[in-house]
Amino acid sequence: MKKGMRETMVDVMMDEARAGTNLVVLVSDSTSTSKIKPFQEEFGDKVVNVGIAEQNLVGAAAGMALGGMVPITANAAPFLLNRSNEQVKNDICYSETNVKLVGLNPGFAYGALGPTHHSIDDISIMRGFGAISIFAPQDPRETAHLFRHVLHTEGPVYIRLDSISAENLTATAAGFQPGKLTVHRQGGQLVMLALGTSVHHCITAAETLQQEGIDTSVVGVSSIRPIDYDQLEQILSSHETVLTVEEHSVHGGLGSLVAELIAERQLGTRLKRSGIDEGTFAPASPADAIRTRYRLDADGIVASAKELAGKVKV
Amino acid sequence: MENSHLLSPDNIKEKARNIRKKIIEMNSHAGEGHTGADLSETDILAVLYFHVLGVNPNCINASDRDRFVLSKGHGAGGLYCTLSEAGFFDKSWLNTYLEPGSHLPGHPVRQKTPGVEFNTGALGHGLPVAFGLALSAKKQDLDWKTYVLLGDGELAEGSIWEAAMAAAHYKLDNLIVIIDRNTLQLADRTETIMQLEPLQEKWEAFGFEVHCVNGNEPEELLNAFHSLQPENEQPKLILARTIKGKGISFIEDKAAWHHRIPVGDEVFAAIKELE
Repeated sequence: MKKGMRETMVDVMMDEARAGTNLVVLVSDSTSTSKIKPFQEEFGDKVVNVGIAEQNLVGAAAGMALGGMVPITANAAPFLLNRSNEQVKNDICYSETNVKLVGLNPGFAYGALGPTHHSIDDISIMRGFGAISIFAPQDPRETAHLFRHVLHTEGPVYIRLDSISAENLTATAAGFQPGKLTVHRQGGQLVMLALGTSVHHCITAAETLQQEGIDTSVVGVSSIRPIDYDQLEQILSSHETVLTVEEHSVHGGLGSLVAELIAERQLGTRLKRSGIDEGTFAPASPADAIRTRYRLDADGIVASAKELAGKVKV
Repeated sequence: MENSHLLSPDNIKEKARNIRKKIIEMNSHAGEGHTGADLSETDILAVLYFHVLGVNPNCINASDRDRFVLSKGHGAGGLYCTLSEAGFFDKSWLNTYLEPGSHLPGHPVRQKTPGVEFNTGALGHGLPVAFGLALSAKKQDLDWKTYVLLGDGELAEGSIWEAAMAAAHYKLDNLIVIIDRNTLQLADRTETIMQLEPLQEKWEAFGFEVHCVNGNEPEELLNAFHSLQPENEQPKLILARTIKGKGISFIEDKAAWHHRIPVGDEVFAAIKELE
């Protein structure tokens, strides 16, 4: 059964608040964006709305963390990281404050609203900053494990929380293990590495490809920092070709991270990066249309995989 | 928590004189620093650390301490000299100012220096953080107060006014903002670069309880802090008129001394003026 990622986040917040975790949720007129109405009804005193003032949102979160609380910021990813870039860098990362930044509706989730509302650079931005962990959960179950983990682990965190409702793919029992990659399928000489919920499209694509006689591996990446580079190397070394899939610019995100490792460790794995093309904005179009255009949906991933498979042993 | 010194205005003046000497010696030794800004804020910091702030150098991280944020992070030198004078760390550390691996970097870093509450340097950051601190105390029903010192040049930053609006909205009468109003910024007079006045009316319009004082007179500053109205649901603003470079005649009120440090005979001349 599908469940919303944001609704899952709110469920965890409510459980944690009931259990006595000293959390506070900061929003910038983003109560609907963050789906926190149920939380607000039960724990109104634990919600701080600063109005449409994202710099103050982030600075205030840092201050509340210094005051002993566990602040979660919840607003749209572009406004969080682009408007408040320096507050994120200095007040959260450099100051190592115990703030959990949640970038909602990242990538091109806002589709036709256009690049002002897209966040195809958040992973790139956050990888440039020190001292902060970077996560992008793949499904509701992992989202719940992740939030429980970060609320009880000291230190700054950025969570790229996709807007979709999704089926659970990750194992029931596993808690969140920072750094670990999730191997969903194993086979063939092509591996698809997906950021966050893009893994769902990859799995659908892998099933189609299998019906056509092409075996592929699918690996979900939900932990960008830390990341288990040795596990990633092992995966890359055991395949001839890797296709990275992310609703992000091909510059600075998962594809870049993989390219860096291939180059630095001289792995020789052939790499194709699917994402928003270098040096461009995604157009103001519905999200599905953008996915199609950049080959980020299952059909597009199948097409990319077939092109790559023509050049690899399958 | 009560201040562990609680000095009288005359004794605070003596401390301020010592702090100014340290600033001159430290900056000239390091060969770098923000001399004008350090001297401008000295009396404010002396009043805070030797009377007003509920802090104790023997119990630096006490949970019930008052919090102080230096938003004008380029005034780090003044803060370090004040903290060492107040006993937060050994005075010998001042000789390491700006050296690699020093506890005293060019801007305040909470992970490095005992008594520093927050990392600043980029302007416009201190008030949002102080707002968050004060709000967290209210949310948790804690009595400690939050103090933040702003430079006047940084009042051009929009983030200051976002936080000012929010502090009044959330009725944070446990937040005390001090403006080091020396009318000079890096390149020129504040009013030439960007008109800030009328500051008193602006802060009043934002919902603050405003007090205007001579920020280089400890007695006036102390009186202002003592006259703050408790539990009136208004954040506080002390508009402290100061002189940049205060205390050294050839440094006072000169934009060039934002970055300059005394060299050669200037060091002896400056110290002599402080004797």
